[in-house]
Amino acid sequence: VDFKTLPRPLDGDVEPKSYTEMYPMNCNPRYLRLTTSAIPSSQSLVSRWHLPLGAVVCPLAEAPDGEEVPVINFASTGIIRCRRCRTYVNPYVTFTDAGRKWRCNICSLLNDVPGDYFAHLDATGRRIDLDQRPELTQGSVEFVAPTEYMVRPPMPPLYFFLIDVSISAVRSGMIEVVAKTIKSCLDDLPGFPRTQIGFATFDSTIHFYNMKSSLTQPQMMVVSDLDDVFVPLPDDLLVNLSESRSVVDAFLDSLPTMFQDNINIESAFGPALKASLMLMSQLGGKLLIFQNTLPSLGVGRLKLRGDDLRVYGTDKEHALRLPEDPFYKQMAAEFTKFQIGVNIYAFSDKYTDIASLGTLAKYSGGQVYHYPNFQSATHGEKLRHELARDLTRETAWEAVMRVRCGKGVRFTSYHGNFMLRSTDLLALPAVDCDKAFAMQMSLEETLLTTQTVYFQVALLYTASCGERRIRVHTAAAPVVQDLGEMYRQADTGAVVTLLTRLAIEKTLSHKLEDARNALQLRIIKALKEYRNLYSVQHRLGGRMIYPESLKFLPLYALALYKSTPLRGGYADAALDERCAAGYTMMTLPVKKLLKLLYPCLIRLDEHLLKSPAHDGPKSVEIRLPLAAESLDPRGLYIYDDGFRFILWFGRVLAPDIAMNLLGPECAAELSKVSLTERDNEMSRKLMKILKKMRESDPSYYQLCHLVRQGEQPREGILLLSNLVEDHMGGTNG
Amino acid sequence: MAEFLDLEAQDGVRMPWNVVPGTKQEATGCVVPVAAIYSPIKPFPNMPVLPYSPLRCRTCRSVLNPFSIVDFVAKIWICPFCFQRNHFPPHYNSISDDNLPAELFPQYTTIEYEEKASSSTPSVPPVFMFVVDTCIIEEEMAFLKSALSQALDLLPDHSLVGLITFGTYVQVHELGFGQIAKTYVFKGSKDYSKDQLLEHMNFFLKKPKPPTGVIAGARDGLSAESIARFLLPASECEFALNSVLEELQKDPWPVPADQRAARCTSTALSIAASLLGACVPGSGARIMAFVGGPSTEGPGAIVSKSLSEPIRSHKDLDKDSALHFHKAVKFYEGLSKQLVHQGHVLDLFACALDQVGIAELKVAIERTGGLVVLAESFGHSVFKESLKRVFQSGDHDLGLSSNGIFEINCSKDIKVQGIIGPCASLEKKGPLVSDTVTGQGNTSAWKMCGLDKATSLCLIFEIVKKEIPDATVPAASNQFYFQFLTYYQHQSGQMRLRVTTFSRRWVAGQGSIQDLIAGFDQEAAAVVMARLVSFKMETEAEFDPIRWLDKALIHLCSRFGDYQKDAPSSFSLSPRFSIFPQFVFHLRRSQFVQVFNNSPDETAYFRMILDRENVANSVVMIQPSLISYSFHSGPEPALLDVAAIAADRILLLDSYFTIVIFHGSTIAQWRKAGYHNLPEHQAFAQLLQAPADDADGITKERFPVPRLVVCDQHGSQARFLLAKLNPSATYNNEAPLPGGDVIFTDDVSFEVFLDHLQRLAVQ
Ligand SMILES: [Zn+2]
Ligand SMILES: [Zn+2]
Repeated sequence: VDFKTLPRPLDGDVEPKSYTEMYPMNCNPRYLRLTTSAIPSSQSLVSRWHLPLGAVVCPLAEAPDGEEVPVINFASTGIIRCRRCRTYVNPYVTFTDAGRKWRCNICSLLNDVPGDYFAHLDATGRRIDLDQRPELTQGSVEFVAPTEYMVRPPMPPLYFFLIDVSISAVRSGMIEVVAKTIKSCLDDLPGFPRTQIGFATFDSTIHFYNMKSSLTQPQMMVVSDLDDVFVPLPDDLLVNLSESRSVVDAFLDSLPTMFQDNINIESAFGPALKASLMLMSQLGGKLLIFQNTLPSLGVGRLKLRGDDLRVYGTDKEHALRLPEDPFYKQMAAEFTKFQIGVNIYAFSDKYTDIASLGTLAKYSGGQVYHYPNFQSATHGEKLRHELARDLTRETAWEAVMRVRCGKGVRFTSYHGNFMLRSTDLLALPAVDCDKAFAMQMSLEETLLTTQTVYFQVALLYTASCGERRIRVHTAAAPVVQDLGEMYRQADTGAVVTLLTRLAIEKTLSHKLEDARNALQLRIIKALKEYRNLYSVQHRLGGRMIYPESLKFLPLYALALYKSTPLRGGYADAALDERCAAGYTMMTLPVKKLLKLLYPCLIRLDEHLLKSPAHDGPKSVEIRLPLAAESLDPRGLYIYDDGFRFILWFGRVLAPDIAMNLLGPECAAELSKVSLTERDNEMSRKLMKILKKMRESDPSYYQLCHLVRQGEQPREGILLLSNLVEDHMGGTNG
Repeated sequence: MAEFLDLEAQDGVRMPWNVVPGTKQEATGCVVPVAAIYSPIKPFPNMPVLPYSPLRCRTCRSVLNPFSIVDFVAKIWICPFCFQRNHFPPHYNSISDDNLPAELFPQYTTIEYEEKASSSTPSVPPVFMFVVDTCIIEEEMAFLKSALSQALDLLPDHSLVGLITFGTYVQVHELGFGQIAKTYVFKGSKDYSKDQLLEHMNFFLKKPKPPTGVIAGARDGLSAESIARFLLPASECEFALNSVLEELQKDPWPVPADQRAARCTSTALSIAASLLGACVPGSGARIMAFVGGPSTEGPGAIVSKSLSEPIRSHKDLDKDSALHFHKAVKFYEGLSKQLVHQGHVLDLFACALDQVGIAELKVAIERTGGLVVLAESFGHSVFKESLKRVFQSGDHDLGLSSNGIFEINCSKDIKVQGIIGPCASLEKKGPLVSDTVTGQGNTSAWKMCGLDKATSLCLIFEIVKKEIPDATVPAASNQFYFQFLTYYQHQSGQMRLRVTTFSRRWVAGQGSIQDLIAGFDQEAAAVVMARLVSFKMETEAEFDPIRWLDKALIHLCSRFGDYQKDAPSSFSLSPRFSIFPQFVFHLRRSQFVQVFNNSPDETAYFRMILDRENVANSVVMIQPSLISYSFHSGPEPALLDVAAIAADRILLLDSYFTIVIFHGSTIAQWRKAGYHNLPEHQAFAQLLQAPADDADGITKERFPVPRLVVCDQHGSQARFLLAKLNPSATYNNEAPLPGGDVIFTDDVSFEVFLDHLQRLAVQ
């Protein structure tokens, strides 16, 4: 196959639109995407489709202004749900019996309409109050949950910070950035005035901080008995932020200097985790861990592994990508049980066993942030931005999510960061707009007899304001008998997302090579199947054909094949980076993932030279194929994968451009140069472009790396290996 | 009497028998043992301090003293203990009859040596480790904080200070951290070894732990820097300490209504001891514990947390049904061994309405020579003033010294059974060590981790000389010699050696009785008997103190009284003995013997003070003094009898722990009417003032500071006086004395007691 001839997804993700006319009341695809909007009617169709059948759900996806999900309070009426299958009332339910009954669209049961909810039907059978009932007209609504939906009073937003203060953490400058960032975000933490906050630090011992509001200064309490960890105070280690604000401020002000002379090289990470659990277990909340030194003391200590070249390619290879000690999974389960979501920020310059640490985030619905070899001067901005987003983005607390679907269809597996509480209930202690969940489904019976299948996502959570709510997304999809229709109605974004997660999961039980081969085989099978459908009529010979909907699939699959979690072998990606990327990609929403797989490459020099008058926004967004041929030595390019920028300076780029952008340093080795705004129009323009690009994609901060053409091996590592269309793109395997 | 006081003024020694019964049999017949109450560092204004090392006998190591026989020509001295002839070293070459070194002056039987400070052993500053209970109510907390911060102001600038607070957990404060308040927290229920503690508190972060050997301060194993995190010069940590104290919170763990607070006193003390042991072994360090309630957590718990379980009483101890008692005592025995080994002192300030566990802690306080103060509240003046006194300098300072070792030498016919008092046996065996052990025995050397100007030891001797068939003994050898050697770290930081050498004549056989009577110091005897009876009550099962005291008194009276057999009315005692029965009478009624009126904590407290005080103060504890003030005469001693009460009198009762100023009813009326404020009644004002001034005078010199009770006749506080008076007029009498008071008690009066005594003595 010649990949060069493949269509390129230069417009990024395209959301499927084919059925919006048929089902105008479906929720927006930003919340729910099916891998194909044509649901097969039979098992045989499923088996011939070869691509995964399933969905990607992003229940809290950010909506543009004006498209916010309406909040509905049924108050005394209670929330209207199907008596049998517990489906929430939605636009696809039908009213009969003069408005006294409603039929469940999922299980067909005829339910009584409660008196308070009764409305007459008009001649067409529609309720006359429809225009006042968003839940009957819109695919996404949010119900305010009454007390039956609570096992306890809604918890306040709670942030607990567990910060490594060992010598390597101190030296990296991480502590200072973290302290300053947290301080700058205090006014913006959600949930004022109920927000709770607490801190612990650790090296070979665990340090708690008494933040009682009456104190002028925090008090540090060191617990060093690692075999028998305990919480030294009953209250005041977790405090109400607004009451204890001055103590919290004082703490954050002194934190950077408090440990500046620390020479402790150990990490009592495991015991510190246990202590955090004890502290937080009463309320739950979000645990943010800032980790620098490989856990070395007490329970959960980890050892260096992964530098053993010989393991690669053997049956034991995958074990390196799994947690070594069951402690981490057990802790994650405990955290989830007590409604604690864990985010890991890892900074080490050495191996730090992200595979084990990430488990905490994986099973608690959290997230892994990896800053290998963190130095505050270089990476500070990225950490500052990403931590700030983590702290200030709207968060759903103590949540559970269930996706219901019509009779005959069943979700069989779930993929992402969560803990499965029962067969179909996802526990999500703290979930936000940046988290997506994928799931596969199967047909329960051989044949589907209905015309339409309905899906309903329900996320029960506590909003930061203290209200218990249920966010409900409903969608319908037609049932088809035609395999071709399935292919035509496929959603590449959802397919790639689900395939990505399956492939990454496969690396946890198989060799990388096996995972890649399985992926490749699946794509080939699918394309073959489709080709076979039409080869007779079109006489295609050896050419590959694919439906319009899947035209980018081969290229995305190739990109996935070369992505950090799957690429090559031992030497192609550091184990920690591989694992971190894996954990990250397991949570990414579709758009974000596609961009990571097939990043933007944009030429900038011409644009920068244009006068401000021609500063049309569109002109910068001409994306180029990710191939070395795209790079003109006379040009300046930016590469953006959503996580970082790479600014590529062509070898014969007009010197004044480099001079304008970099100043006198432009001749130096670019790895040592940092990009700052200079006093000229061109520099300001570039910075504005970068700012804009960042604003359009705020979930991560794109740190800008500079590289000059021919600057090896930097150029290769940073950029060339990521030009997925090229052969050298890191495919040793 | 006076001559005994003179001897005390010269050497700090009081003995019941100043003429010693010279044989074993004789001594046994004397009932009151041959003993000495010695105040090792009692200040003497004219005592020389010699700037050189003492000369010692080659054989017995005793120190050259005025009793040595000196041959000025041969430059030889003969040791009075072992008769060894010792050559003077060359620098004594110039001695002669009229050029004597001070240690040979006959009047300098007590003398001190202080070697010049050598630069190789820099003097270690005094160390104070405050161990503070936080399981107390806010009000008490406020009192304690203010008392502590006042005390801190008084600390010498160079002294090292550390702080541990405790409640459910133990918190060791890292005062040297600087940035914010920082503590290391330990579980109260757990036993931490010294090694674990050091590890936990990051002592080996910058300087790795030595693979072998004992860790002993900055010289051995620890970096000075790591020690300075926890022990800082008072001048440097003043701010840190004060801010910690200011923000110190009551133990925050909730206490259910039916429970006691989790208070881990023993764990806190153990951690304090281990920390000091690691950081400043061998230096004069004091753990000062401030405890506001019973210990309920850890190995030294005295009671469970459940309030349904009462704190042990004497009855429980008697029946051996105090669940926690033995375990706790065993723990504190271990702690006392550790502290003695390290040379550190445990002081206890117990301020609570409940018992805190003094009875259990006693062993650790007493063996280390610690101070103990018991009060109802941290706000009470007994506590506040006593604490101030600990750090006060000037005339009434306590003269706290440390690191003492006490050794004795005696003539060969004497052995020592032990010491009842604040010290610990060093188990140094030798020929003068008796097989019979009383108190801290089995040794001729004792550790005195803490000692002060008042510290008084009671040495119990045994005369081992067999009966001498021939009564005609050469006069030259009828002297027993004693030498007491006390090495200690003087307040100045310098090591000193005090040497007291004295001799007593011994007598034996017929005709010796008058000599014995002449040498009988009845006050000293009473005090020795008080310490002995307390000791026996604590250590001997089924011991009946009343029986034991009565028997002793009867024997003594039979032996030394003057009477015709079976004729009680003929009975009389020499003035040397005449008030001894009265002492015994009051001792029988005292808190030392009648323990059931008090809690085990109070008893332990009283006994600890008795066991460290000198004879005069101890006598007051046994038999309070009573002074009467009236217009008719100046202040005069009054009989400790209910008859002393009169409406127009003021009485001043000093029972050592309590001073009562008691206004007769008329006096009280006048006072209430404010007469003393009127210029024409200046005499009355003076009368009111006189006992107050006297009480003040007593208070100034006493530690712990006594509780002062000012009360009126018929007032509720009057019981403090009445309880101490001889019940000559009880309700058993038909007619109460006019104007006097009646004491409601079934105790026998002294008259009845004396009657019985006379009857039994003459049988
Ligand atoms: Zn239903
Ligand atoms: Zn000798």
